[in-house]
Amino acid sequence: MNKLKLNILYAFLLLVNINLTASDNDSLYFQFEPDSVNLEIGDSIKIKVSLLKKDGSLSKNQFLLTGEWRSVEVKPWISNSDGIANVQLKVFKPGSFNLNASSITDDRFKRVRGNLSIFVPAPPIEKVGFIDPPSTAYEKTRIKFLAKVLDKAGVSRNDIKPTFESSNNSIASFDDFGNLSIKQRGRVQLSVSISNQRNKVIFSEINLRIFRNPVRKIELSMNEGSYRTGDVITFNALAKTASGKEITDVPIEFSFTGEANYGIGLPASGVVTPNGKFVAENPGEYTIYATSSGYTSSLTVKIKPRNIQKRAELIGHGLITDVFTSDLWVWQGVDEFSDRDFAVTGTWEANGEAYFWEVTDPSNLVIIDTVTVDARTVNDVKVSADGRIGVITREGASSRKNGVVILDVSDPYNVKILSEFNDGLTGGVHNAFIYENHVFAVNNGRKYDIINISDPTKPWRVNSYELNTPGHSIHDVWIENGIAYSSNWSDGVHVVDIGGLQFSEENRYTIMNNPILQSAGKGSVRSPVLMTSKHDTTGRNHAAFPFLSESTGSFYVIAGDEHFPFGLGEIQNKEPANPRGGYHFLNMNDYKNPVEEAIYQVPEAGSHNLWVQGDTLYTAFYQGGLRVVDISGELLGDLYKQGREIAFYLSNHPEGRIPNATMVWGPQPYKSYIFFADMNSGLYAVKLVNFEDNED
Amino acid sequence: MLIFRILLAVIILLGTIKGREYFVYVTSESQDEVHLIKFDGNNGKIIKDIPVGVWPLEIEGPHGITVSPNGKYWYLSLAHGFPYGHVYKYETGTDKLIDRVELGLFPATMQISNATGLLYVVNFNLHGEHEPSTISIVDPEEMIEVNRIETGIMPHGSRITNDGLKQYSVAMMSGTLYELDVLQFEISRTLFTGTSKHKHMTHSIGSMKHRNMKSHKMPKEKPTWVYPHPNDKYLYVVNNGIDNVVEIDLNKWAISRKFNTDKGPYNCEVSLNGKYLVITYKSAGKTGVWDLKSGIELARIKNTRRVTHGVVISPDSKYAFVSVEGIRGEPGSVDIIDLENLILVDHIEVGKQAGGIAFWKMSD
Repeated sequence: MNKLKLNILYAFLLLVNINLTASDNDSLYFQFEPDSVNLEIGDSIKIKVSLLKKDGSLSKNQFLLTGEWRSVEVKPWISNSDGIANVQLKVFKPGSFNLNASSITDDRFKRVRGNLSIFVPAPPIEKVGFIDPPSTAYEKTRIKFLAKVLDKAGVSRNDIKPTFESSNNSIASFDDFGNLSIKQRGRVQLSVSISNQRNKVIFSEINLRIFRNPVRKIELSMNEGSYRTGDVITFNALAKTASGKEITDVPIEFSFTGEANYGIGLPASGVVTPNGKFVAENPGEYTIYATSSGYTSSLTVKIKPRNIQKRAELIGHGLITDVFTSDLWVWQGVDEFSDRDFAVTGTWEANGEAYFWEVTDPSNLVIIDTVTVDARTVNDVKVSADGRIGVITREGASSRKNGVVILDVSDPYNVKILSEFNDGLTGGVHNAFIYENHVFAVNNGRKYDIINISDPTKPWRVNSYELNTPGHSIHDVWIENGIAYSSNWSDGVHVVDIGGLQFSEENRYTIMNNPILQSAGKGSVRSPVLMTSKHDTTGRNHAAFPFLSESTGSFYVIAGDEHFPFGLGEIQNKEPANPRGGYHFLNMNDYKNPVEEAIYQVPEAGSHNLWVQGDTLYTAFYQGGLRVVDISGELLGDLYKQGREIAFYLSNHPEGRIPNATMVWGPQPYKSYIFFADMNSGLYAVKLVNFEDNED
Repeated sequence: MLIFRILLAVIILLGTIKGREYFVYVTSESQDEVHLIKFDGNNGKIIKDIPVGVWPLEIEGPHGITVSPNGKYWYLSLAHGFPYGHVYKYETGTDKLIDRVELGLFPATMQISNATGLLYVVNFNLHGEHEPSTISIVDPEEMIEVNRIETGIMPHGSRITNDGLKQYSVAMMSGTLYELDVLQFEISRTLFTGTSKHKHMTHSIGSMKHRNMKSHKMPKEKPTWVYPHPNDKYLYVVNNGIDNVVEIDLNKWAISRKFNTDKGPYNCEVSLNGKYLVITYKSAGKTGVWDLKSGIELARIKNTRRVTHGVVISPDSKYAFVSVEGIRGEPGSVDIIDLENLILVDHIEVGKQAGGIAFWKMSD
């Protein structure tokens, strides 16, 4: 039967059924045979679905059958004219689903619905095994065992907790967390197991031979010195025999106790890592213990206050209250303006304006020009390193053709629009960066486009960088030394070689000190090359900023969160927002295996944009204001608690767009000042001064 | 008894004076808000602002809005996600968020079928590459997507016949009208929307091989909207690119009439009594009211902002509610046009970039 005939038949049946449904639908109900199904991924089953009258007879009413797209396949979707469907059901994902049936009717009030619950368990576990287990061990030690659980689909299942068992608990026994306490010499068989959905035990076994422990003492050492909160101290522990021979394969555990100086009552808190790195959060006396084989050694250290705090003194303020202020950029003028300093700020959900300021005298911030484009939000503003070209981003253009606008800012008093570029960028550009005659524009949250502006009046797209993960999304990109650091929400930080510095005498030290640059150079703007990435399990990655520590030589990418956990409407209702989040320090010394080593987050405030200069972090913490943080030395643990915060400034202004509400968007250290933009109250310049300094 | 009669007379008189009230939802695409508007026949006002979206510092772009046929829920498409957009379900009256479902890129206009009860949403993919996009079919009870059908480039204007059996959309950058069989979940017919050359594309979608169309020439018609006549015999397709609206005879599956419009027609709607065709002229900032029988434009009314967007007509065929965008920081507006007297009765300032508009209810 051809399609036309089928359609005519369906239309006819529908008309018939519509009348029937309207007359007696109150008594109709669906019957599913079988009435419950448990399927495994990929399974198919035949289901008979009938739409019946109260007396059990067929309704003669057609109905539709649906299941969740890409999870449940239903064929056919429509019943026959009697009200029966023999459907083939196939499932593709684990979870709880429904086969939904609904009668076809033109009287929506009389539509009958029914459903059959379908449960599809996760794929059965196929394999469990120890991860890198030892084959030998020493008595009177404790070893942490890890296990990997794989299901039939080859997916690692961290939701399944395996059971660890020893064949002889008098020799060695496990706790619930995989820690094996080894009591005496001998041989034991260790197993790790799980019970899968069919109550079948899947397990893996290893043999462990336990030797006499020759360790008779632990020697613990550290570099003598004066230590402050936040300083990372490395403790070296050596396990030795009675004759003094070092035993290198015996596990040593570290712990600490302490007594804090009574200041405001904070406890003796800190972090000690499995490899003996210790950092204290509060001043006091701390004792670090190294333990193995029933022997312990300890050292006590005195931790002094970090004492780096300064006061952020307000130097100047340019109040903006009629619109929300977004990002800022500060730069030195060129040509006849080369002895002057300027800034540009964007506007958010407003009139499509960018304001240009003269900031040569930071105590007198004055708007000197305004560029207006067709947009609601000019979210980002950037100026080229040579101070001549600016780029502003557009969102909410009335033509729905957003893109970027390229500016001549060489005369900041008369900024000229040189060109617009919206080809393929119509969805909106949220952030952009200028690097070596190219604009990197975040295109509709999906990718960044690389646009050549060698001739800024005729920009053209060179290439794009886009992730290939399902549902990927990007927020921002920052370029330094030919490396693009993009922030991609749940895909985290991507480090991409877009033309890493070429080796030269001039660049020698920059390259040698940076593990990323040492391996870069294969990529270009025409052919970006991914060097490394770090997934963000929270999905909050909003910013990424490179940081080469001047004091240690370690290379980090600081990954910033953006997180609004408390619902909708704060800004729309002109009520202060209440975001959260922090900055994650990803150590990239081994750049292919980034490790998060430290975090800075202000309790009950939300991280936004950041800047690093030297070993100082400048952060916009939204309602927590501007924060200036000492990130010198090795970084470990919770930096906020370690007294590393140098200064803060709360830019709450009584005439702000939301009065008395701090909402700092972004900072930029410039010369001896810190400029920052507050959404509610405009542009600020502050200076760090010692506490004993007078206001003047 | 006399007092009772007087009271009754006063009540009736007051009732007459008070008149009918109309309730309309309108989106502000650049402000992430939906406004509920009440109009009493003379004056309109916002009675509620409803913030939408989940990301306070990103504009997520509420675009399409529709009210369920039973009036209990309203559905809103938010164009921008990470990267996919969503359709949100709210309860009318309380405007409480019920649920949401993730769909494709830039989900836009949508409607629920009277026959199936399913919601048909076009994934406009306005800002993406020029590649074929889709219609998402959503079970609005469970808020799950149950199917996705490929159509053309930038599909828009999802509207369903009154019998609920056919859904129509136009692919702006394909210049094509698509007819979806809501029961079969497949495209049953396609039609080129221009008049310069008729391209009857009656083959099935499976044979179109869109993915192989590497170089795509944009049609000058750029159809942006389609609306079925209440009698389900005709469709009205807005050709935004060539300033006309064409009438499609559904039996003949061919253009039967052409209405030359002002600049940049964008949306349209036919009154339930079948008398008026109201067309928004986006580029001209005006709204045209046409007499469908004679094919004559009765009035061309200047709107209160510069970018005229959507239109919805009250079920009594008396008033057209037109959303108008404005530019930059300018507020949007809803212009209310009296279709019998052909005058602008009132306008209400709403949030920026007023777009999707949907009729909720009338009350006496």
